[in-house]
Amino acid sequence: MKPIDFDLHRPETLDEALDLLAEHGDDGKVLAGGQSLLPLLNFRLARPAHLVDVGRVASLAVLRRTATGVTVGAMVRQASAEQSPAVASHCPLLAAALPNIAHPPIRNRGTLGGSLAHGDPAAELPSVATALDAVFVAASIRGRREIPAAEFFRTHLVTALEPDELLTEIRFPATDSGTGAAFAEVGRRRGDFALVGVAAQVTVADGRVTDARVCLSGVADTPSRPKDVEDMLRGTAADDDVVRDAANAVRETVEPVGDLHATADYRRHVAGVLLARALREAYETAERSEDGHDLRIA
Amino acid sequence: MTERAALRWVSRPGAVREDRRFVTGHGRYVADITPPGTLHVGLVTSPHAHARITGIDAEAALALDGVVAVLTGEELAKETDPLRQYLDLPDVHWRPLAVDVARYAGEWVAAVVATSRAVAEDGAELVSVDYDPLPVVLDPEAALRPGAPTVHTGHGTNVLAHREFSWGDVAGDVARADGTTQVRVRWNRNSTVPIETFGVVADWDEHRQLLDVWASIQMPQFPDQLASALRIPGNQVRVHFDVDVGGSYGVKRGIKHGVLAGYLARQLHAPVKLIEDRAENMHGGDFHGPDRIFDIALSYTADGVFTSIRIDVVDDEGAYPGRSPLQLAKPIGAIVGPYRVPSAVYHATAVTTNKTGQVAVRGFGQAPTNYAIESAVDAVARELGMDRFEIRRRNFVAPDEFPYRIPSGTEYDSGDYPAVLDKAVTLADLPALERRRDELRGAGKLAGIGVATCLEPGGGNAIFENIMNPANDKTTFPEACRLRVDGSGAVVAVVSISSAGQSHDTMVATLLGEELGRDPATVTVLRADSLSGMPSQSPVGSRMTIVLGEAIRAAATDLKDRLLRVGAHNLGVPVADVDYVDGDVVVRADSERRLRWGEIVAIAHRKQHLMPDGVEPGLEVVHVAHTPRSGGLTAPDGTVQLYPCFSFETHLVLASIDPDTGVVDLDRYYLAHDCGTVVNPEVVRGMVYGGTAHGIGVALYEQFAYDDAGQPLTQSFMDYLLPSTHEIPDIADDEHCTPSPFTTFGQKGAGEAGYMGAPAAVASAVNDALAASGVAPVMSLPMKPSDVWAAINRTTEGNS
Repeated sequence: MKPIDFDLHRPETLDEALDLLAEHGDDGKVLAGGQSLLPLLNFRLARPAHLVDVGRVASLAVLRRTATGVTVGAMVRQASAEQSPAVASHCPLLAAALPNIAHPPIRNRGTLGGSLAHGDPAAELPSVATALDAVFVAASIRGRREIPAAEFFRTHLVTALEPDELLTEIRFPATDSGTGAAFAEVGRRRGDFALVGVAAQVTVADGRVTDARVCLSGVADTPSRPKDVEDMLRGTAADDDVVRDAANAVRETVEPVGDLHATADYRRHVAGVLLARALREAYETAERSEDGHDLRIA
Repeated sequence: MTERAALRWVSRPGAVREDRRFVTGHGRYVADITPPGTLHVGLVTSPHAHARITGIDAEAALALDGVVAVLTGEELAKETDPLRQYLDLPDVHWRPLAVDVARYAGEWVAAVVATSRAVAEDGAELVSVDYDPLPVVLDPEAALRPGAPTVHTGHGTNVLAHREFSWGDVAGDVARADGTTQVRVRWNRNSTVPIETFGVVADWDEHRQLLDVWASIQMPQFPDQLASALRIPGNQVRVHFDVDVGGSYGVKRGIKHGVLAGYLARQLHAPVKLIEDRAENMHGGDFHGPDRIFDIALSYTADGVFTSIRIDVVDDEGAYPGRSPLQLAKPIGAIVGPYRVPSAVYHATAVTTNKTGQVAVRGFGQAPTNYAIESAVDAVARELGMDRFEIRRRNFVAPDEFPYRIPSGTEYDSGDYPAVLDKAVTLADLPALERRRDELRGAGKLAGIGVATCLEPGGGNAIFENIMNPANDKTTFPEACRLRVDGSGAVVAVVSISSAGQSHDTMVATLLGEELGRDPATVTVLRADSLSGMPSQSPVGSRMTIVLGEAIRAAATDLKDRLLRVGAHNLGVPVADVDYVDGDVVVRADSERRLRWGEIVAIAHRKQHLMPDGVEPGLEVVHVAHTPRSGGLTAPDGTVQLYPCFSFETHLVLASIDPDTGVVDLDRYYLAHDCGTVVNPEVVRGMVYGGTAHGIGVALYEQFAYDDAGQPLTQSFMDYLLPSTHEIPDIADDEHCTPSPFTTFGQKGAGEAGYMGAPAAVASAVNDALAASGVAPVMSLPMKPSDVWAAINRTTEGNS
């Protein structure tokens, strides 16, 4: 369980990093926390000749509040984002999802960009980014481009990034008032990849849902956002009947695969259970937020 | 047996002398041992579960810079003998590297030796092996059917062993029963999975003609088997036991690793190191544990009194049996559990399949059997509508019935099962636990209380070899201790075992201190190697406090006898008139007249003129002890005395289940445990907690699984799920003490504590929760959320 022989590059600036990727991108990998990549290297499932460690590029490790939301540098550690007041107040879905990622020592090293660029459809962050229509900023010596979340995740462990591109930041839109979010998942053990996960965010005005965002992880080869379910919720008070219908609709849409840890039937069933739970929690939080008292803070 | 009240160090809170070394990272493991010039082994493994090897091309690997040699199974087989097996299977050959046929995915096919492990892995990738895939057989019951593909063609069948036993008036006891409940339970393949994988370093000294071996082992007869497979005399293999073993509980056997490394070291005239990585360990380490299907029939009267038990078990040994089928015989010594059952039938079948081999795992087959028996007891209680505590109390062997002979001929030494059950019930505050269960039910959960009352046979001997293979007449399984008092009066105890975290240094020092009346903190405990040491069968079968305890008692008695003779001679009185008191020799009639420890030591080491005739100089004694109560063979009627001592434990656990997801949460966990006289309370507590955690893992999480083609689905710790601190609840433990009459201080075994009952108890709790909602029980471990949900869902759908 030793990686194949590779060259390690440790650029200090973004430009150096992009030059390295331009030169070695086809035969290289970006090291951005290493919590998924290092096991892949050790199993020799990933066999890059060059490893570009972007951990020393300080500009990538910045998390900032912007006029439109929260922009998270690709090298921001999951633990930093978890502790960020800006994330807590403006990006509640991200805040809700982060504690579900593995265990604290992994979140101390794991980065947002690393996890998103890895593109594991069972992971939490791809689901959150998809639900929120986050924007991915990719840079290369050819220039910069913005990639909408809906176009970022192509299939299992494959993203829209080109070999010479580096994911530099992710822009999460701020939430409107009256918004609540919840993240629910089931795993065999605490901290495991979820058998099924559900990210839900609901915005409520006068008791009616004005915006609903739902995304499931672990049920397909990309994060799975059932738009029809979001449409069903809009304009309703998310009462029991609506939530039950939404859960059933999700069960009809998803096509999970069974494995050692859970059957496909189980995953399908639990997708509905978690959707209902996440929606209820998100709706209740949204209502409290609309009422002006947020129990999370109280 | 010494009166417990008089004990000064045994059973008293005392520091565990190993702890500081391990906690501060100063253990010395085999991976820490790298003699100059060490070469490293990488392995080429079979990607197929069953395939003929038609060609091996090592040219590209040998061309790689740093690769020193590539060894194939055919080459190795020419110059070594097959690894020892304990059944009479002349056509089943187990070798370190496959010859002609690979019989499971992950089996070693060739070894690459290189200047570093990384280069060895590079080289292993370059070895090209041609395979001709063969049909696979994976399901143990399918393997039994006519026409199934055979794993070992020459053997002709997949049955490696089949033994049938019937003890007592079975027909009469079944006929007088008012009912018989039958259950089928599945104990899926799991193991103890140590943090440290198996490792070995071997170094051949051509001039001394000596093979030095450092290995992560817990393996009886390891040095002998190494020598025999390598075809060299036993006195040319020196296995070093002063190596810390990073976890084992049975699995650190590593005989094939040792033979491979030893052979390479002799061929290459260089130290050779083989440290398994996790994938090699999980796929090809031959360390998986029991993988069993049980069919149990428990007969009972209308009052819930058991009359007879029948257990049919099929065990999937994997591709090579090694020592594992013997694990079917060990439970014969506790085949009726703690219950008074007058007759029993036991049919045991060992089957080979295309999976990695099994090996001994904590309890040597007892934990699965306990799970099977307890599942049947709970099923009878459900059938009769009887309280599960009451049915146990009604059938317990009573405290005044010991020593109690069970139908299979083994005598239980001592016990007070009702008292231990009462202790658990009190500790748990059962009425409060029931209220908590009802609260959980009120909150929408399924909730249930589990109970298991299980035995831990201790003081392991090897009579199971004779049971499974009557041609094997091994009846002793000794342990030994050497004592040395040096010229300054300092005490050294020498043992010939390696330890895997069992705190043997603490145990030996404590027992010896108690024997000699000297502070254990002043005793040095050392490990001899296999050539300079004494006979030992290694710390298996919860035996060291019992068997080594006997050797320590006898060696201390020899030493004291020598001190008494020197003392009496110099005090001018007959030996019969003096006593040994904490190191001094004292005239019984006048305690003012004494010879002190230091004075006796000085005489014994330096003053021949003061020595009585016939006493050796120096103070060095060694004693080799039989296992208590061993010595007999299995009787023609199949009755046998298995282990000498029987520890007992009661688990009480409250499980809460989310009915919508099937996720099980262990809300409360209580345990009462009796291993006779406790040597060190901290060590026993550690065993109980660790064993319980291990059992929870088996019940809910752990499994080595294969797909239909025989590919391992459990490739790493992402898929082999060890419970973490999040999954293990707080465990409250209370100790009870029923001393054994057959050991020096009344001690019994504790190395398998917790694990004996936890799988059964957790299953009992989950099934109690399910039963309360009319859901059929889940009779297979591990109980995954999807299994629990499927059971609930079947009931819901059935009702709608």
